[in-house]
Amino acid sequence: MRPTGVTTRSLACHDCDALFSAPVMKEGERVICPRCGANLFINRPDSLQRSAAYVVASAVLFFAANIFPFMTLKQEYRSNQMVLFQSVTGLIHQKDYAPLAILVAIFTLIAPTLLILGLLYLLLPLMRRRRLPGAVALCRLVSTARRWQMLDVYLLGVLVSLLKLGKLATLTLGTSFWAFAALIICLSLALGSIDLRELWARIEAAK
Amino acid sequence: MNADSSTAYDRDSAASKGLALCHSCNRVDRVESHHCPRCGASLHLRKPDSLERTIAYAAAAVILYIPANLLPVLRLEAVTGAHQNTIVGGVIEFWQSGDYPVAAIIFVASVMIPILKLFAIAALCVSARTGRFPRAMTRLYRITEFIGRWSMVDVFVVAILVAVVQLGGVLSIHPGPGAISFAAVVVLTIFAAGSFDPRLIWDAAARHETRAS
Repeated sequence: MRPTGVTTRSLACHDCDALFSAPVMKEGERVICPRCGANLFINRPDSLQRSAAYVVASAVLFFAANIFPFMTLKQEYRSNQMVLFQSVTGLIHQKDYAPLAILVAIFTLIAPTLLILGLLYLLLPLMRRRRLPGAVALCRLVSTARRWQMLDVYLLGVLVSLLKLGKLATLTLGTSFWAFAALIICLSLALGSIDLRELWARIEAAK
Repeated sequence: MNADSSTAYDRDSAASKGLALCHSCNRVDRVESHHCPRCGASLHLRKPDSLERTIAYAAAAVILYIPANLLPVLRLEAVTGAHQNTIVGGVIEFWQSGDYPVAAIIFVASVMIPILKLFAIAALCVSARTGRFPRAMTRLYRITEFIGRWSMVDVFVVAILVAVVQLGGVLSIHPGPGAISFAAVVVLTIFAAGSFDPRLIWDAAARHETRAS
């Protein structure tokens, strides 16, 4: 990286733009903006190893959540199994509701897939201080995908749906539901284990 | 207002020194670089046209909020008869059947959060002009950015119910046009909060301080 003088050690608050020089930090310490109280940087212990481990777990769980049945509906003599992606395809089959299907696809399938695969592609090589081609562009994509994934909100939607249909039919939860619930925990641990600023600094330093 | 950087920006800020924080990777560099040397994103001292964009997205959300609440989000046909649900209708139904916690959750996520979020955005836009209570307003901005996504829950309920009851038979469920308007409201308010730049509040606060002294 080309040297840019004093600015590489400067830290600016993303919420109030207060400028100061970055302090030297020990593991577990955090920098809080003295003026507005924003969390600027958290130096997580074993950040890379932990987040990589949680991302690998998330990838396995995301795969499981997408292949096993999510919910089963029983009404009288019929039963109907639903797979996760059918909350997208179900809407496509409804006339005029393709825009809604696209939104649900972005929030529950596309953004999580980009996030999980993107983090795998970034974090695993970083453990050997390497970066693969396209790492910079991908890291920007990952931080966008992180804002638009709504797996946790979807889970709340599942719980509301269970209660809404509970009086008309019997709903049972499948293997995929439990994988999905575990996925939400693993993914938030993966994202919480490494600060995005640290990820960028490591990508910058990697070869 | 003078466009000179020493008066337009608050004097403790990076912007007053001509330094820009990369909105993508948080690196600080001189704004004349135009593009972040680390990640390639374009550099700005403040989000471009922040207030105009925020107001435009919020206004669109306010307009769509009307059909989102008047039109049904869900049409349900059972042996007992067909009926339609609006967002508020769904809350009332849960309340009447005694599911108070669910009624409360949907009421908060689908009714309260969108309204509060629009009021919060209005308050933020005002404080970007007046510079009043910068610390509290910055906190309000953080909350506004964080809670918006939870309003999507009703849209997911529609998607899940449609998927799980797709065979028809005794029971059939179809989405209603209100679901599209409602999803649009949620996405537009997320864009509105995302285009707001809280640093404008601190700039305004600094301007008022210098004027007072």
